[in-house]
Amino acid sequence: MAPVAYFVRRFLFFLGTLWAAVTLNFLIPRLQPGDPAEAIVSRLAGQSESIDPAQVQAIRVMLGTPDGNLFDQYVQYLGAVLHGDFGISYTYFPYSVTHMIGQALPWTVILVGVTQIISFVVGTLLGTWAAYRRNSRVDSVITLGSTFLGTLPFFWLALLLVYVFAITLRWFPERGGYGGGSSPGWNWLFISDAFQHSVLPAVALLITGPIGWIIGMRNNMVQSLGEDHTRLAVARGLPRRRVAITYGARIAILPNVTGFAIALGGILGGTVLVETVFNYPGMGRLLLESVSSRDYPLMQAIFLFTTIGVLVANFLADLLYGFLDPRVRKVESV
Amino acid sequence: MKRPRLARIAAVAVAVALAASGCTGTEQESGPGTEGRIAYLDYGDFGGGSNPQANYNPYLDASRLGATEYVFEQLITYDNYGCQAKPWLATEWNWTDPRTLVWKLRSGVKWNDGKPFSADDVTFTFDMLKQHKALDTKGIWRYLSAVEATDPQTVTMRFTQPGAAAFTLFSEIKIVPKHVWSTVPDPVTFPNAEKPVGTGPFTVKAFNPQQLTLARNPDYWQADKVMVDELRFHKADGGGQIDQLKLSRGEYDTNAMFVPDIKKAYVDRDPEHNKYWYPSGGSISVYMNLTKAPFNDTAFRKALLPAFNRQEIVDKAQLGYVKPASQTGLVVPGQADWLPKDIPNQGVIAYDQAKADADLTAAGYPRNGDGKRVGKDGKPIQFSFRVPGSWTDWVQAQRIIVANLTALGFTVRAETPTPEAYENDRAIGNYDMLLGVHGGSCNMFRNFQEPLASDQSAPIGKKAVSNFVRWNDPRTDQLIDTLRTATDEAAQKAAVADLTKVMMEQVPMIPLWYGAKWFQYRTTKAVGWPNEENPYAAPSDNLLIITNLKPAGAGAK
Repeated sequence: MAPVAYFVRRFLFFLGTLWAAVTLNFLIPRLQPGDPAEAIVSRLAGQSESIDPAQVQAIRVMLGTPDGNLFDQYVQYLGAVLHGDFGISYTYFPYSVTHMIGQALPWTVILVGVTQIISFVVGTLLGTWAAYRRNSRVDSVITLGSTFLGTLPFFWLALLLVYVFAITLRWFPERGGYGGGSSPGWNWLFISDAFQHSVLPAVALLITGPIGWIIGMRNNMVQSLGEDHTRLAVARGLPRRRVAITYGARIAILPNVTGFAIALGGILGGTVLVETVFNYPGMGRLLLESVSSRDYPLMQAIFLFTTIGVLVANFLADLLYGFLDPRVRKVESV
Repeated sequence: MKRPRLARIAAVAVAVALAASGCTGTEQESGPGTEGRIAYLDYGDFGGGSNPQANYNPYLDASRLGATEYVFEQLITYDNYGCQAKPWLATEWNWTDPRTLVWKLRSGVKWNDGKPFSADDVTFTFDMLKQHKALDTKGIWRYLSAVEATDPQTVTMRFTQPGAAAFTLFSEIKIVPKHVWSTVPDPVTFPNAEKPVGTGPFTVKAFNPQQLTLARNPDYWQADKVMVDELRFHKADGGGQIDQLKLSRGEYDTNAMFVPDIKKAYVDRDPEHNKYWYPSGGSISVYMNLTKAPFNDTAFRKALLPAFNRQEIVDKAQLGYVKPASQTGLVVPGQADWLPKDIPNQGVIAYDQAKADADLTAAGYPRNGDGKRVGKDGKPIQFSFRVPGSWTDWVQAQRIIVANLTALGFTVRAETPTPEAYENDRAIGNYDMLLGVHGGSCNMFRNFQEPLASDQSAPIGKKAVSNFVRWNDPRTDQLIDTLRTATDEAAQKAAVADLTKVMMEQVPMIPLWYGAKWFQYRTTKAVGWPNEENPYAAPSDNLLIITNLKPAGAGAK
């Protein structure tokens, strides 16, 4: 019975967190200073132009004012969210928030998803190798190399890539998800164009991506290789490689699996930095833009998607953990 | 070396693939267009945010794309530099009395779907703005009471009160076709994304979020003046650095962006063809909270006039791109015609710290033993001075202004809040001194009414519409009222002249410099861009510019 109780408890915890997240998501934009209509007009006019009060008024009418008191708004909001209705974006009026997210999501999911998976696989393998050959030259190169790369500021690395490969050598386009000459769709021109545009951001993500997995994997595995049952296996004369893989790596990979699930959940929020530097049309840039232009409906929906993504991933990781590592269930049910 | 080689291989592979598929990607042949016209021109950003969506609803200011400027037209256009109204869809207009304006429409104008343009379209457009307040972004129905088609070529507009002040607004209201828009269920949420129908010189040819392409409308009513076959607008990057680079490489025929050190970054790359012209926009002024001492004292404010080193602000904070502003509230030299003749140096006040020092002392604000300037209560004068922290050029200007004031013995706290906090405090009057923007348009009524009319103000703690300094003066209100109702130019000029005197004598605010309208252009393909020698239009007057461009080499430069 204990495992079922564990899963039920995790699920209740998941629901509680989800409710808190949705509520915070409702409240936070309403506690921000500033009037979205004014923000829109002053952005249009620019800093050195006077704003036309008539324009502010018209935009206020266009955006509409929320009905009722805070509690009524909250109930309405919950209802709308349950129906998947996130309203109309302020910046992209009259296009809906769902439409905007639907456009941005594939870019992020493909770019960040693919690089995350590659990073995880590469990182875990390199970490395993480093731990397998611990204290050798391979280990030093991998560990020190990744520590060094990890200390480089990401935006600096990304700008360097743009400067060298896009601006100086002009091998790759410097920004965007695709060029002006192609139009999105299932045609060869667009796909090759999009691929060409994704190389630099992908490289930037792949340089820094595996580092966390390498370090985590190596350290976990070095530790698990020092434990009693591993030493017993060695003493019994099992092949070194088998000891490393089935005794060391199998245990060491557990925390990384959780981390990976959470990282995949976080994809929905995009990677603001990389998408901003490369002007990539994904969720991260959409989020940044919605925040800076006070596009509350869009901002709220992106936050909500990100939160739900992380929570679901977390929940799945918890479940996975429960299956993979019996100790967790035991400890929790005591 | 490993990574670059891989990247190069990938690039070559892609290039080969592109070549094999027989496609030219984003590069396209440049060559002469048909009948001696320019094949295409590359323009800068087309609006609509970082992920623009097809939106050609000309009234959705926040999200429509720049194409609406070329697809739709207005009754009149304005040369927003010299402030001259030009006939456009209307050929004549006439105030039959101060509340009645009669428009004669141009004959032979066709919508780009072939249907004729008529007075019905005009009345339909204005009635739609009346029904949908969200579309009336110019607030024209604050003034109008009815719009009627007298005959197919004549429209009569009636105003609730003398309507002269509203006249410039007609240059900003795009006329849409009744036969399309009357079938739209809700024009507020209508993106007009498929083949927008307008009377303008261009039609939408292709759009994706990176590029917007417009094609010349061969049936345009003055098609002989449009010498460009295609306009290509290119999405700008967020930060602008890449665009600056593309500009300096000559990839834009025109753009409107801020470039640090434009001479080195742009003009010097090709001095013969790369040009820029930065005419003045609104006045950026020191706003003092007139409800607080010592700012409520006219003598004090007047004494401050020579205290600010406008030239240093222009040179250091604004990179020399702009001009020091006139105290009159007008934009000189563009609006110099409106200035009374007896105002010296067009109202631009020179920096003279010794004079400011002496004037302040004479006004009853001497320095104390420590050299601190004291108020009428004998205590040192202390106040805060705010600019939004993220507007870096304003922060630079703030340093100079604070240094100027400190040199006179004031204790000034320089504060840099967020733009939102700044806007909010400005609106509710929660400040001592800050920088604000006003004026700069061709609508003289708006230029003075917005910052100075008492009905645009509010008590401290309540949001003012636009009179943030809280100037409250019956004579100013009366002059603004004259300006609102006067249909003849002589009466308008007299009222403006008196208002410039209010600015000079009573100093409701202290203009320091003019905001610049950024405008870069290249003369390799097209000539005839407006510039300092030929200022026939402001850089934003798209319809005027596009009907004045000529192929390079074909005519006079």
